[in-house]
Amino acid sequence: MHRIWAIVENTFKESLRQRILMLLIIFSVLVIVVSVFLEPFALGEAPKILRDFGIAAASLFGVLIVIIIGSTLIHKDIEKRTIYTVITKPVKRSEIIIGKFLGLLLLIAILQCAMIVIHQLVIFIYEGSFDLPLFITIPFSLLEIMILLGILLLFSSFSSPTISAIMGIIFFVIGHASPDLKLFADQVNVAILKYLAYGFYYILPNLENFNLRIDLVYKLPIHLDQLLFSICYGLIYTIFLLYVSIIIFEKREFK
Amino acid sequence: MKTALKFENIYRSFKNHFWQKKKEVLKNISLEIYQGEIFGFLGPNGAGKTTTLKILTGLLKPDSGNVTIFGHNVDSMEAKKRIGFLPESPYFYEHLTGYEFLKIHALLGNYTNCKKRVYELLDIVGLKDANALPLRKYSRGMLQRIGIAQTMITDPDLFILDEPLGGLDPIGRKEIKDLLIEQKTRGKTIFFSSHILPDAEAVCDRVGIIINGEIVEVGELDKLLKRGVKTDEISLEDWFVGKIKKNHA
Repeated sequence: MHRIWAIVENTFKESLRQRILMLLIIFSVLVIVVSVFLEPFALGEAPKILRDFGIAAASLFGVLIVIIIGSTLIHKDIEKRTIYTVITKPVKRSEIIIGKFLGLLLLIAILQCAMIVIHQLVIFIYEGSFDLPLFITIPFSLLEIMILLGILLLFSSFSSPTISAIMGIIFFVIGHASPDLKLFADQVNVAILKYLAYGFYYILPNLENFNLRIDLVYKLPIHLDQLLFSICYGLIYTIFLLYVSIIIFEKREFK
Repeated sequence: MKTALKFENIYRSFKNHFWQKKKEVLKNISLEIYQGEIFGFLGPNGAGKTTTLKILTGLLKPDSGNVTIFGHNVDSMEAKKRIGFLPESPYFYEHLTGYEFLKIHALLGNYTNCKKRVYELLDIVGLKDANALPLRKYSRGMLQRIGIAQTMITDPDLFILDEPLGGLDPIGRKEIKDLLIEQKTRGKTIFFSSHILPDAEAVCDRVGIIINGEIVEVGELDKLLKRGVKTDEISLEDWFVGKIKKNHA
């Protein structure tokens, strides 16, 4: 366990020292600026817009960090040859993948918490009370981040950072268009397109499973079975991605 | 004498692009290194030294042949537990301090109670005062020394060092050579590649010469130097250059 922890610690420190905290400052400024300038134009909808914007921005910043850092996480180690001294220690290659995954996830989790706390403070300043149910967005946003990080690690284990980053963005966009893909599959009449659309719908990750923004902003009821399904879906999908990444990474040579 | 590591008929080829023909980099490498000796693996640039060391550490796989460390497959945990590896021109995590770097490598080597050991090693390689400095501020010589320290962190039985004396000033080279000799007196085995022949001459019990992917000579240094020459005064450098010229002729 301490071997994985050593890699978690290293990945965390390495990522933290990439001036990532600047993104947190940008987030804080954005939320405050939007809150101040939006109110006169919001026609009484300011509380909803403030919540909607805050949740969306926190989630988007998390995705941004995971794509920027996640796509280079393994490649940089290989390119700079820093992985040589790690991989020749009595450590399994699976432990390296898991350690890197957990290290970056830990950093993003802390940043997500910090962003939601800043968001809560802004809500408190404007409304005189906190909106604590918004904290539930953190674990679900992290489940989405876990899947994206799994995809980035999978592509990083055999391709370049650019390809990994592009694939991360493609999966993010398609993942959020998943309900539309289902709708298209239901309505299209051409058989081959129907099967293709259904195929993509079931194979590609449905990231909308983790989007609770509308439910929280409009205070819609959130069902426990829906949450449990999303948690299981996120965990199983992530474990599958990590498993495939490990298999590829174990066969990789370092020329 | 017991065997520390053994190469048996290793072949390895590469191709840079899929349309190119494979180029054979290692041709039938067979070599046996004994426990407690310092073995110098010498050869000109592009001879296949680094490829051999990468196969030995599991970073590359041979096309055919077998490599064992203390009787274990190089990819096994048993083998990895017993080696300390220093890559050529090492680049380490620049964001870490010297202390953090060694601590992480100690944990990776299953060395949990590591604080005392890390400071001990920083002292041995003369970097105690630089322990809190990020590695990006280290000079080339300091990086080489922290790299050597990382190989020693788990007190391995076999050191595999790719150009360990590169980038060091004369004092640094002397210190590292002394360290290697000290490890030998402790019963450790050292397998290292080097271009700096006088240094290899000073510390090696045996050397192996690799040229164009083939081992052309292996043996005790004194015997190799004396063989076929009229004077005992020939240096390893003269002998080595003569060998390469003869091989290219």
